[in-house]
Amino acid sequence: MAQYSAELDGVFTALADPTRRGVIRRLGRSPTSVGDLAREFPMTLPSFMKHVRTLEATGLIRTVKLGRVRTCVLNHDRLALVDGWLAEQRQIWEDRTDRLERLVTDPEEHP
Amino acid sequence: MNPDLDLVLQRVIRAPRTAVWNAWTDPSRFAKWWIPAPMTCRVDRFEVRPGGPLVTRMSEDGTTFVPHLDAAFLVVDDLERIVFTNAIDSEWRPTNPAPVAMTAEITLGDHPDGTDYRVVVRHGDPAARARHEELGFLEGWGTVTGQLAALTESQVPR
Repeated sequence: MAQYSAELDGVFTALADPTRRGVIRRLGRSPTSVGDLAREFPMTLPSFMKHVRTLEATGLIRTVKLGRVRTCVLNHDRLALVDGWLAEQRQIWEDRTDRLERLVTDPEEHP
Repeated sequence: MNPDLDLVLQRVIRAPRTAVWNAWTDPSRFAKWWIPAPMTCRVDRFEVRPGGPLVTRMSEDGTTFVPHLDAAFLVVDDLERIVFTNAIDSEWRPTNPAPVAMTAEITLGDHPDGTDYRVVVRHGDPAARARHEELGFLEGWGTVTGQLAALTESQVPR
């Protein structure tokens, strides 16, 4: 669970920036080369690359180099992490029900 | 039911309904299963009646207890149904609980092998809660998840 939280923190930190959200939104439409992406954001290429690396580090996007062109691709599985809270609540209730079941079916509890 | 916000759990528990009911309504028995070991649970306030308090604390070392749940029972139908919520606390004050507000409905029914045990947990919108908090970015979690939902849905082939 701790690792899950850390991953979630990373994803939300990455999404905390408007440029990075813009990149995610853009890649939601289609994979795009770094060069084409960079032209859509008003900043220097080195600054833009920092954002790309941040997104890549959290696994939100992947980059693939083909020849001289590096293309960014959105990782949908990673985005699904932000929907993980419901799965987490389900696990809590499943575990809770396991413990209740063990207690009420334990012969030592009902001598 | 809202599949994005709610969860449903159904089990057949091989024990009589009275045993399951007692495990839910006797605070000393409730404390034995409510929180996973090795943490210990202390039941501070527990009155199983509509409007009654349900307050638990937990401890890692058995000495220092921290808040766990501060909730109120909404419905209590003897041997059949318990509903409680943490959207109001045990004093009926509206709350903004972590990680998300919920109303849990536990239903017991007869089953040839024991007890038909069902849980429905209806959650508030976690994004709504996040909007009230400083999450380190101005637009808020709600906006972000909204955007993510929009773009991921647009990507899913239907």
